[in-house]
Amino acid sequence: MSAATVEPIIGRYLNLDLLGRSHRLYIEEAGQGIPLLCLHTAGADTRQWRGLLNDPDVTRDYRVIAFDMPWHGKSSPPAGWETEEYRLTMADYSEMTLSIADALALDQPVVMGCSIGGRIALVLAMQLAARFRAIIGLQSGATIDPYYELTWLHHPDVHGGEASAAYVSGLMAPASPAAERWETLWHYMQSGPGIFKGDLYFYRGADGDIRERLAEIDTGQCPLYLLTGEYDYSVSPQDTQTAAECIPGVKFSVMPKLGHFPMSENPALFLSYLKPVLAEIKALG
Amino acid sequence: MVLPLATLKDRAAGDALLARFGRDFDCSLLVGDGDVDWLIVIRDGEVQRVTKGPHIMPVSDLRLRATSDTWVRFLEAEPPPGYHDLFALRRYRRIQIEGDIRLLSAYLFYLKRLFELLRPMGTPA
Repeated sequence: MSAATVEPIIGRYLNLDLLGRSHRLYIEEAGQGIPLLCLHTAGADTRQWRGLLNDPDVTRDYRVIAFDMPWHGKSSPPAGWETEEYRLTMADYSEMTLSIADALALDQPVVMGCSIGGRIALVLAMQLAARFRAIIGLQSGATIDPYYELTWLHHPDVHGGEASAAYVSGLMAPASPAAERWETLWHYMQSGPGIFKGDLYFYRGADGDIRERLAEIDTGQCPLYLLTGEYDYSVSPQDTQTAAECIPGVKFSVMPKLGHFPMSENPALFLSYLKPVLAEIKALG
Repeated sequence: MVLPLATLKDRAAGDALLARFGRDFDCSLLVGDGDVDWLIVIRDGEVQRVTKGPHIMPVSDLRLRATSDTWVRFLEAEPPPGYHDLFALRRYRRIQIEGDIRLLSAYLFYLKRLFELLRPMGTPA
């Protein structure tokens, strides 16, 4: 047994109006310096960023902030949720990200998102580049090739948490540590009913297909970094490469031996790929 | 034919993950390895019977078929990207998955584990 320790992560609740409704959102942060706002994947929560939030090399220069999206983790759904079907749109996700950055008075934050958050990273680069110091997309693609049906992710006959977790389990690299992989899957198992499916609404639909708009991204205004784990088959390195070819000035690299959840499935290995990027952004001033 | 399904019963016996995710699982699973079909009968989460084809009019709940070349790569101890998971095979259209997808979804952890146990080391989960 090892000695008990207390992590430096602080969790708080933020009450704010978001998308026209009152929300109570859970936010975690650690560190000081350049704000680094982190967006979790579909059907998950801020715990995916635990490695980053706990890394002293990162938190020495960066104030790392992660929020649970409404309906996720410890953020409640808005009042009246019981009569509606949750469906995330691309516009709502980017507006939410900006609203939270504003509510926390973050000055020129870096934003980093993974998977659906990686798609939103591209959207923010396209539409709101002036608001950010730099943008980092993990597992970012402009569209997705649907390879499974969503029906069974939310159905009375199937445990949605276990099904969602099993559907995404293979997206991680086989060599990622078992404890971190199963931690990542536990987050999926805890997801609210229909939430993973609802997150994919824009991501898999026409609403979220931004292939034709990538050329609008001006990396001269805001540096854009794309990192993709080699074992991801939802957004494969080739998918990110295809997007990167449409974005002049983007910096794209493949992360060997990682998959779709780099920050959560193998935090230590992910940080070895991320730290040079963070150092480069810091050096930009 | 490359899948070591003749040894599946032994590989599956006592596996903690199959026990954890196989509660109340009943399934007749047909696995295609190139031209060879295998029929795997699972009752209450236990692999009861594995039979090599040819079969005459087999009854199955689920059918998973891939070429032997695909299975060879899937079986590598550290398989290459795109060959490391049943859904990775699906993504790249290397496997046919047919039948009761409700059952597949409810017991996907079990089914993925069953195939991982065919690898030399039986891991990762």
